[in-house]
Amino acid sequence: MKLTKLLISLLVIAGLAVGLNGCGKSESGPIKIGVLLPLTGPQANFGEMEKNSFELAKEEINAKGGINGRPVEFVYEDDTGKPDVGRAGAEKLIVQDKVPMLAGGYSSSVTFAAAAVAQQHRIPFLVNTGSVDKITEPEAFDLTTNDGDKFYIYRLNPPVSEYASGLEGLLKEVVKPASAFIIHENSAFGTKGAKSFAKTCDKLGIKVLGNESYSSGTVDFKPLLMNARKTKPDMVYMISYVMDAALLMKQSRELGFTTPKLFVGAGAGFTMPAFKENAGEATEGVISATLWHQTLPIKGAKEYYDKYVKKYGGDGPDYHGAEAYSAAYVIADVLTRCNGEYTPETIKKALDETNMMTVFGPVKFTSYGKKIHQNKMDTYVVQWINGELKLIWPKNLANAKFMYPIDWKTVWGL
Amino acid sequence: MEVFLQSLISGLLIGGLYAIIGIGMTLIMGVLKIINLAHGQILMVAMYVTWVLWKFFGIDPYLSIFITIPFIFVFAEGLSKYLLHPLIEKESILPENQVLMTVGIGMVLVELARSIFTSNYKSIHTSYTDKAWHVAGISLHVPLVIAFVIAIFLTIGLYFLLRKTDLGRSIRATAQDKVAATLMGISSAKITILTYGLGSALDAAAGSLLLPVYYLYPDVGPLFTVKAFVITILGGLGSTVGAIAGGLVLGVAETFGATYISSGYRDAVGLVIFLIVLVFFPGGLKRLTKV
Repeated sequence: MKLTKLLISLLVIAGLAVGLNGCGKSESGPIKIGVLLPLTGPQANFGEMEKNSFELAKEEINAKGGINGRPVEFVYEDDTGKPDVGRAGAEKLIVQDKVPMLAGGYSSSVTFAAAAVAQQHRIPFLVNTGSVDKITEPEAFDLTTNDGDKFYIYRLNPPVSEYASGLEGLLKEVVKPASAFIIHENSAFGTKGAKSFAKTCDKLGIKVLGNESYSSGTVDFKPLLMNARKTKPDMVYMISYVMDAALLMKQSRELGFTTPKLFVGAGAGFTMPAFKENAGEATEGVISATLWHQTLPIKGAKEYYDKYVKKYGGDGPDYHGAEAYSAAYVIADVLTRCNGEYTPETIKKALDETNMMTVFGPVKFTSYGKKIHQNKMDTYVVQWINGELKLIWPKNLANAKFMYPIDWKTVWGL
Repeated sequence: MEVFLQSLISGLLIGGLYAIIGIGMTLIMGVLKIINLAHGQILMVAMYVTWVLWKFFGIDPYLSIFITIPFIFVFAEGLSKYLLHPLIEKESILPENQVLMTVGIGMVLVELARSIFTSNYKSIHTSYTDKAWHVAGISLHVPLVIAFVIAIFLTIGLYFLLRKTDLGRSIRATAQDKVAATLMGISSAKITILTYGLGSALDAAAGSLLLPVYYLYPDVGPLFTVKAFVITILGGLGSTVGAIAGGLVLGVAETFGATYISSGYRDAVGLVIFLIVLVFFPGGLKRLTKV
């Protein structure tokens, strides 16, 4: 008697398992895409913004009928901002969740580690934030630029060496600084960004007076800033995340570091609402390279910004959010072009053919220099004017007059 | 010379804050004989308490220490009484288990903070947070100076508590020899629980003092746990005077390292000191001060 019961229950369980399994594979279940983001740890703030944007896009896509009638679903994995955790997370998404495609990737070092996993498993990985150059350089994966069909990494955002491309014009045509001091975080993003900006300086005939690093989370930047002040640079170029950026500006003001013509941020932290909130008065006049701004004349940019604020409140997203939101739409577009067959190979093929418009700008994966599968795009320059972030460069898109020259003594109220 | 003086003064001011974080850790280390790996997270809780008091009740961060200190004291005593102490009582459980418990407490605190406040960065702005005094070309950040002065008062207060009161003597006795203290009629259980509260209360004060200078997010803790740990080793396990010296030394060493070597190696400087002390000077500054 007992045995029969056991057998029946076993059968029922087995039946259920088969049934459930069947659901996952059936033609009507959701299409799962893996997303790797820092949801805890010091970068969680950005991870949350990107996750919110992915979710916002997902709801819109699914409300409009999803992918050929099937909803899309994002499976998130927390990389905590550490490369080893990111690696394991990517591994888990590919092996356990069996996703046919990866997205996300916030910090450069984590993204690069995860990219190696994706490449090894031959799973397409659409990177939307990780910016160190080598992510889309096949050389770093022991391939050549001719190996496009073997290279599974695609990137929506520009690499860090191009973050300042918009800035170049402004420096060349308006400011013409003679010297620069570079301050950067000692991460992959910071170090590579500093190196490529030093190269830009060489090209523009700007003398680099110093190139100093710091570790993120520093309480006291004064020693660093004092060293910078001693060299009397025409401009200070900083590659920092948001709170370091805020402290750098705050402490520059405290020290009375008023000699540079410009304080320039390399995107990342300097455009975030939290930067202004935390740096207070010291925000005014700071300029920054940026990849996106809600006032850009791109269709849907402002709408995305408003929808985000309406749904999640707070200060609204910056370019990180726009990258994630656009990545979600690229994924939807790619999946729609897969003709109902969602394997890594069909997805890769569809990615190759991508040519669409997003709130982040046009997306098309091209090859140039050492890079392949890289979306090439313009970058912009913004400035904090009267407490608001205004687009000042390129001139034809600007929505405010570049505040220059800047008398820091009056701006900072010293 | 100007750069040298500025570095020295910046380092001392920061060091004063490090010192009270370190004293809290060392007190706990002395009596409980464990490393409190939730130290930074308790600091984080205190910072959030300070932030909430400032944001929603308009209480000045420096006045709020009168609320954060008792609040964290009671909170940490609860943690100690219901989570840590039961592990101490059981002889069969290795002391490592309490250390693991502090790790667990730390994780829970971080995730609770994240679910309540999200991961957004918070900071405090008052009329004086962005002010600096300039004396002979050296800039003194006003909130840091205030924090330093308050830290000195707190340290003096603690010194009197430990040296001149019965409670203080009991704490020191328990730290020196638990069994002997118990034989002398001291309730070592009570003292153990109380010390965890006291150490955390100092940590809480540091949190309130740090917030106007720094910023706050749920994962801010580990940075300061590491610093507290380095200070405790540098000063000598369980030594209060050693922790004060250790805090100041760490602050100055970090700042000089940042000025004359590179800011990128600021944290490395602390850890190198940590290694040197462990290898060449085990027992830390306590060996010099004997307190």
